[in-house]
Amino acid sequence: MDRYKMEVSGGCQCGAVRYHATEMFDNSHICHCRMCQKAVGNIFAALVAAPREAITWTRGEPSRFRSSDHVDRGFCSKCGTPLFYEDLTGNRVNFTIGSLDHPELFPPGANTGNEARVPWFDTLPVIEHGGVTEQPDREDWWGGIKATNNQHPDHDTATWPAK
Amino acid sequence: MPQNEVHTGGCQCGAVRFRVTRLGRPSICHCRMCQKAFGGFFGPLVTSHNATWTRGEPKWFQSSDAARRAFCGECGTPLAYETRFGLELAIGAFDDPTVAAPEIQVNLADKLPFFDQLTSLPVRSEVSDEWRDFMAGIHSNQHPDHDTEAWPPKENG
Repeated sequence: MDRYKMEVSGGCQCGAVRYHATEMFDNSHICHCRMCQKAVGNIFAALVAAPREAITWTRGEPSRFRSSDHVDRGFCSKCGTPLFYEDLTGNRVNFTIGSLDHPELFPPGANTGNEARVPWFDTLPVIEHGGVTEQPDREDWWGGIKATNNQHPDHDTATWPAK
Repeated sequence: MPQNEVHTGGCQCGAVRFRVTRLGRPSICHCRMCQKAFGGFFGPLVTSHNATWTRGEPKWFQSSDAARRAFCGECGTPLAYETRFGLELAIGAFDDPTVAAPEIQVNLADKLPFFDQLTSLPVRSEVSDEWRDFMAGIHSNQHPDHDTEAWPPKENG
């Protein structure tokens, strides 16, 4: 596992907790294990790590759930966003890739925890496509979300929430 | 999908549990709001017509005027998404997530560029001694994948 210099920010949906890292590991992966599934309420967890000493919590502090004696799971207690998996005996914190401001920069390279992989995992990219969010005939729906979106933007902010 | 069967689930720590018998269409949503709410590549949600909270209550975050999102305040597990169209439960929070195979993907505009390659990733099979020791030492605090009379369990001894 190699580490490299990179300026990375991320945080939770509501913006109460934000983090920044100056180095990353090249371990982007998805974990299907049952503990990761349940921690993120999802089909798998998507994780990429930063060295612990390269991380700064720039706004707020994450809450932690000790999912086993070895591991803490970080989340925002205000909005629930899963933020990290941290092996307390290790040298790194694995951020949830979806909480990064730019998840597209971290394509995963491996599957782990495959004993719990859902049997229909391979169907995900090929199931029916339902179109984009902003369909013209549904503007009453997505327009209301767009105008009142309470999600923190995908970049650091000097103050939050916005005035 | 099996209909009118009892489905249960809840958060990782077990403080919040749910039960549902009438499920609708399971989906994955690629929108950036679902990505962020789940910390993942998409939101995995199944319409749930008669869900009840059987232990504890979730906390809610109003992600916009049109929608709010439920999670466990103790451990953070994302549990649900609710709009005027109804409640959708997080598929990964079900005790058996395999019951809700997604049938449609929506909001493709925010689909991550590597999503279509996810299913062709290599499976990591080599296991280091360090990792084997790590796994052997795990004492899980996760709620089991079934309802329990009382939780957390009494400490042994």
